[in-house]
Amino acid sequence: MAGSNEVNANESKMAVPLNTWVLISNFKLAYNMLRRPDGTFDRHLAEFLDRKVPANATPVNGVISFDVLIGRTSKLLSRIYRPAPSTSAAVPLLADLYQPPSADPFPVIIFFHGGSFAHSSSNSAIYDSLCRRFVSLCGAVVVSVNYRRSPEYKYPCAYDDGWAALKWASGEPWLQSGKDAKFRVFLAGDSSGGNIAHHVAVRAAESGIEVSGNILLNPMFGGNCRTESEKRLDGKYFVTIRDRDWYWKAYLPEGADRDHPACNPFGPNAAKLDGLPFTKSLIIVAGLDLVQDWQLAYAEGLKKAGHSVKLVYREQATIGFYLLPNTDHFYQVMDEIKNFVMANVQ
Amino acid sequence: MSSSFRSDMGTDPYDSVGDDRWIIASASDRGSSRGEIDSLLHGAGYRVRSTDLRHVAIGLEQLESTMVGHQCVASSAEAIHYNPSDLTAWVDSMLSELAPDPHLLRHPQSTATANTWADPTQQRPSLHRLENHHQHRNVPAVSLQSMDEEEDAAIRLVHLLVSCADSVQRGDSEMAGSLLDQTRLALARVNTGFGIGKVAGYFVDALCRRLYPPPPSATGGGGSAANLEILYHHFYEACPYIKFAHFTANQAILEAFQGHDRVHVVDFNLMHGLQWPALIQALALRPGGPPLLRLTGIGAPSPDGRDALREVGLRLAELARSVQVRFAFRGVAATRLEHVRPWMFQVAPGEAVAVNTVLQLHRLLGDRASPEGSDAAAAEPIDTVLEWIVGLKPKIVTVVEQEADHNKPSFLDRFTEALFYYSTMFDSLEGGRVGGSHRGGQQQQQTVVAAVAEAYLQREMCNIVCFEGAARVERHEPLARWRDRLGRAGLRAVHLGSNAFKQASMLLTLFSGEGYCVEEVAGCLTLGWHSRPLISASAWRADDADDASPPRDHQTLVLQDHSSSITSGSNNVVDGDDHLHQHSVMRSHMGSSDRINDTGSGSSCSRV
Repeated sequence: MAGSNEVNANESKMAVPLNTWVLISNFKLAYNMLRRPDGTFDRHLAEFLDRKVPANATPVNGVISFDVLIGRTSKLLSRIYRPAPSTSAAVPLLADLYQPPSADPFPVIIFFHGGSFAHSSSNSAIYDSLCRRFVSLCGAVVVSVNYRRSPEYKYPCAYDDGWAALKWASGEPWLQSGKDAKFRVFLAGDSSGGNIAHHVAVRAAESGIEVSGNILLNPMFGGNCRTESEKRLDGKYFVTIRDRDWYWKAYLPEGADRDHPACNPFGPNAAKLDGLPFTKSLIIVAGLDLVQDWQLAYAEGLKKAGHSVKLVYREQATIGFYLLPNTDHFYQVMDEIKNFVMANVQ
Repeated sequence: MSSSFRSDMGTDPYDSVGDDRWIIASASDRGSSRGEIDSLLHGAGYRVRSTDLRHVAIGLEQLESTMVGHQCVASSAEAIHYNPSDLTAWVDSMLSELAPDPHLLRHPQSTATANTWADPTQQRPSLHRLENHHQHRNVPAVSLQSMDEEEDAAIRLVHLLVSCADSVQRGDSEMAGSLLDQTRLALARVNTGFGIGKVAGYFVDALCRRLYPPPPSATGGGGSAANLEILYHHFYEACPYIKFAHFTANQAILEAFQGHDRVHVVDFNLMHGLQWPALIQALALRPGGPPLLRLTGIGAPSPDGRDALREVGLRLAELARSVQVRFAFRGVAATRLEHVRPWMFQVAPGEAVAVNTVLQLHRLLGDRASPEGSDAAAAEPIDTVLEWIVGLKPKIVTVVEQEADHNKPSFLDRFTEALFYYSTMFDSLEGGRVGGSHRGGQQQQQTVVAAVAEAYLQREMCNIVCFEGAARVERHEPLARWRDRLGRAGLRAVHLGSNAFKQASMLLTLFSGEGYCVEEVAGCLTLGWHSRPLISASAWRADDADDASPPRDHQTLVLQDHSSSITSGSNNVVDGDDHLHQHSVMRSHMGSSDRINDTGSGSSCSRV
């Protein structure tokens, strides 16, 4: 129905627990304040409002984190999460941080946080929580990339930064494991991070870097036409077509439309993925996410190009279900992720 | 897999271990006990008590409905945010910055037993139908049976509300509280998005606030003057009432000024001065050339050293300069109208004076002595003000007022009246928006503006229901009572003619949906929705006004409908000997003293 700015909170209230509703509604409200109609973004206020946490080399629940600059000259920051090194010291020494967590094969997950290309950072509280969980779930080292955001940095900056992080990680000796000293890397992301994971995976496939798997949580894709799910769910579950349009406009190059291959990788302008050694994908789609038709089309596109896809469709889930551990969606999807990683880390 | 770290074997790896900064929830932690911080939100960086979650959620919802639209976004960006982690405080402070009244927040004591997270599936019944008025044209076709069910639910809701107001009036707070809970339950069965459900929801909140007044907050009462202006502007945009008021008043003023070289308009509530560009332009075009126009604008003092009145004056001066109308502006800052004194206007001899009061006079009324309202009782501020208005010997006094009796002595009567009045108002916001072919049909933008306009109306509603004494300023009285009052003060009606009527009708067809209707009532005009008048416009002159002016010429100077947007352009001060737009601001202090501090803007007012 029309009127994407209409206050229509009623359906969303029934779909999620109260504290989830408060969290996501708060984001929605704050984000509305930050997006200006002229396409600019109130970055100062965004940074003020975003809840951040510092890195913490003191183990918490067996996980530590620290920030690194990727490459000496670059300004690209990443936060590394890893199992606490086995050391008797209360706080690991710097040298300990760069020890492999295990001699046995362990996964490295390069994680791209969500935020529709404009919001959040690798030190945002919600993503700090999620990355810690990945570590505990899979025994992984997680590299959360603080990629450059739009509208200040448009396509392809986020992809460039993702690619830089992958290349950096692939050259770190302590991230290799197993008898064959292999770099067992997964690319993961939610929302815009899922989109970034895909495009970095394409580059990896084209460049001969082997990726063990892609994990896409409610990935952000789109296109010019309005799909049925967009029209049906517009404004009903925290997200509107209008805000999606704003974020695409902010990320895509000037003058591009949403059939740009960054947004629509299986659209009219896309390069074919057939024959590429593209990785396996685990794609999680929330049934109350208005862009699900694009996500499903993405999964189909991968399949048609001959690539392995595991699709997990959570019918009653909304966006952001993975932010708070208070639903079945959360726990079951975490299980799926764990199984996928374990199955492909060898 | 290495054994050097804990592996997840199907149990949640995060226990509530004792790191202060990180209370990560365990699977068993389905929600903290009352009063404790919600641990999951804590993990996301927010400290919210579990018991406050509902309050915050409601606040977020209210913020969303207020916080739409370009101006509001800009305003929110200018707002100073503190400690976003304290979501409760943040939401509350944003609401008091942007929303009309903190009263609309549910008091924590009154936690509803009803599930406010209802799942409405019904269509909207209109309260209108309960009054046996026309069926709302926009109600979609549904089966008769379901309509009856909704109507029953709506009727029940109204009944509960009125019963609750009754127990409030009787001072039976226990009964009132219980009825409030029942009302909330009933509310859960109607769609609170619009129609009766929406209006009822606001009245429930207002009653609740009246029953359980929150302690005086640090932010003081209500929103700032600047934010009220924003709400007012949205109300101006969303529906034709204010435009109608301006249009009609300007026409009367224009006619009264005919044949006068020097004219002086006193505006009781300048706001953004939306009314005046059209008058300035009409004066520019009048045969024989424009007069020297002086405008005195009364408004609230600006905080923070800003001089909002002056800014408006400068913009108007710039406009006047561009159409070659000699113009001078003076601002009078007053917290209450009764503190204004006529000498502040410095009316010059020989000037034709127009006094313009749009939705202001009712603020000067007091409690009515008896139900019949024999106002021969103690002198109220209104009497003083009317006296000096008459003393100015104005050529015209334009009066626009809400057409309702929200000043009845009985709280229950006021409440019931307001319930129906604002229900109709809200209906018109809804219906006028859908039906209108407004500026190329920008539906989404209209929705946005309408939502903020509702916030403007909520503010009025809440004042009527929650306040008494000097704080209750929305003391609307119907045209019939104003006629008597103005007549006793020595003013005589100036009939608004068919030309004004015709122009008002044309304005409505151009800009608003069907359902609005203009009526002529003994020389005054009313604008209403589906035969219920909601606002009245009338014009008056002093009995003994010096009648040196020529007889009224019924030629109509057609007022162009000036674009309603006031661009906040640069405040260029144009200097030129032939343009007099110097300005000084006089401030009146609250209280009895008549001492005035000049704000020291440095300029004096010089005269032609």
